[in-house]
Amino acid sequence: MKQMGWLTIVILGVAALIVIWDGLFIVNEKQQVIITRFGKPVGNPITEPGVNFKVPLLHKAHFFEKRFLEWDGDRNQVPTKDKRFIWVDTYARWRIEDPLLFYQRLTDESRAQSRLDDIIDGATRDAVANHDLVELVRSSNREAALDPSLPEADLEEGLAQIEKGRSNIMQEILLSAASKSSNLGIEVIDVRFKRIDYNDDVRENVYERMIAERTRIAQRFRSEGQGDSARIRGEKERDLKQITSEAYRQAQEMVGKADAEAAGIYAEAYNRDPEFYQFLKTMETYSRALDEDSLLILSTEGEFMRFLQRARGR
Amino acid sequence: MEPQDYIDLKKIKWEGHLDRRKISIAVLALLAIIIMFSSVFQVGTESVGVVLRLGKYHRTLGPGLHLKWPLRLETYDIVPAERQLKEEFGFRTEEAGIRTRYAPQKYLTESLMLTGDLNVASVEWSVQYRISDPFLYLFKVRNIGETFRAMAEAVMREIVGDRTVNEVLTVGRNELSVAAQLKLQELCDQYLTGIRVDQVIMQDITPPDPVKPSFNEVNQAQQEKEKLINEARADYNLAVPRARGEAEQTIRRAEGYAIDRINRARGEAERFKSVFTEYRRAPDVTRRRIYLETLGEVLPKVGRKLFVDKETGNLVPLLQLGKEGQNQ
Repeated sequence: MKQMGWLTIVILGVAALIVIWDGLFIVNEKQQVIITRFGKPVGNPITEPGVNFKVPLLHKAHFFEKRFLEWDGDRNQVPTKDKRFIWVDTYARWRIEDPLLFYQRLTDESRAQSRLDDIIDGATRDAVANHDLVELVRSSNREAALDPSLPEADLEEGLAQIEKGRSNIMQEILLSAASKSSNLGIEVIDVRFKRIDYNDDVRENVYERMIAERTRIAQRFRSEGQGDSARIRGEKERDLKQITSEAYRQAQEMVGKADAEAAGIYAEAYNRDPEFYQFLKTMETYSRALDEDSLLILSTEGEFMRFLQRARGR
Repeated sequence: MEPQDYIDLKKIKWEGHLDRRKISIAVLALLAIIIMFSSVFQVGTESVGVVLRLGKYHRTLGPGLHLKWPLRLETYDIVPAERQLKEEFGFRTEEAGIRTRYAPQKYLTESLMLTGDLNVASVEWSVQYRISDPFLYLFKVRNIGETFRAMAEAVMREIVGDRTVNEVLTVGRNELSVAAQLKLQELCDQYLTGIRVDQVIMQDITPPDPVKPSFNEVNQAQQEKEKLINEARADYNLAVPRARGEAEQTIRRAEGYAIDRINRARGEAERFKSVFTEYRRAPDVTRRRIYLETLGEVLPKVGRKLFVDKETGNLVPLLQLGKEGQNQ
């Protein structure tokens, strides 16, 4: 009896452990689970978190991610429609939408990743090959803000107009990838270009073009500088001439007017008796014109010496 | 916290069957210790703890020491929700500090990107973000760090791809970070990442290395242009104001001349008028007086004087006055 009790306890204990260990399982917020019996799915997938029960040993629980999952593509070299070779690097978000279907078609995530490689890379290649590079790079037809310090005319390529643009092309890739993966229990949520780059040869050419463009701009600046400088110097010459000649003109006018006025004044005064004026002026001139070095010959017949002569003569 | 405990427990139980007493005590003690240790956890200052009860989200806890149900009945995740996190693109901080050191190598695959005019620019930037919703952060997206980096790169390239290289390098610089932040936040919300983007910081935005010298050349040329213009202006300023002053001088001088001339004329005219008035009273006498006065004034000044008489005809000078005469 005692032995029996022991055995029962042990058996019950072992059974309880098996049930606890293999029958009960916790599904957390990150997980979803399907249950199979010898590989055959049983019941609905469990997508809500909580404690669940399955038949121990017979049933098997398969855990899958419920969260958004990453997919990061390899860099691919693809020619665009306008025959430029570029590297395209895409990434995608996806999730396991239908764990049962997912389990049946793909079993696990690594196979899913490899299928996604095929699907998304393919869709990306198609999309890239069907569009010009600028369509892949630009996403809107916004106008470029101009740098006021740079001469606009020298910038080779402004922003070209696009028809679809990056976002729409990414959307196309997404739709294509989503439709191809929907029968795998996968939902592709988003596909995006992470990087688009020139391959090395093209990049060299682009650099050369950029250098040429900058050189042109630099030359324009230099030439503008010389031009402006010459213009300013010309202005200087002109202004100088203008200023001096203007001053000369004004001065001459003033002098002329003053001379005329003075002449008027003199004339008005002296006209009262021109003869007397001449006499006075002559007298003045004498006193100014004669100096120490002059030789003055005076006749006794002159007014001054008259008396001298008379005195002697009589 | 992983369920290794369970396996130990099992083994010990099996062995405990053999020697019940002693071992059952040991087992109980061990069990008690395990339960105790698995019931306590700590949340750091900058973090929050998210607790799942039986796999289901139950509560979020702040910093401090917390209790939970033992073993796997409750599990928890620590999320640094209060810390500002940072992702760097195109460069790496090697050692942050007062003088931050950056990794010497370039991350060109990250930084080189196509601009809308199909040129290439090298853009380095960093994103500061915070985990605003730990629940979403933990339970909606796996491997969020890489996801976030990929998102940030895609967003930046999309924005740069819609601008000219000039915009990216100069005028549009600030606008880039605003646009990137908005777009990245939008994407974060769309992916349910639970991340709030605080700031997108543009670091170095430069032309690619091989192109740099030519960009510098443009700057140089720009400065040269300024210099030439300034020199010419200086020249202008050196000459023109002076010429203006000189012109003014010429005019003033002419004015002076005019005033002088007219005043003199007036003065002389007045003088004449006065003399003339007197003269008219006694013309003959005045005339003679003036004549003689003049001679009186003139004669002493003249060095040599010759007096000629009618009678002597044109003969030798009779008298020589003045210095010369005296010396003879």
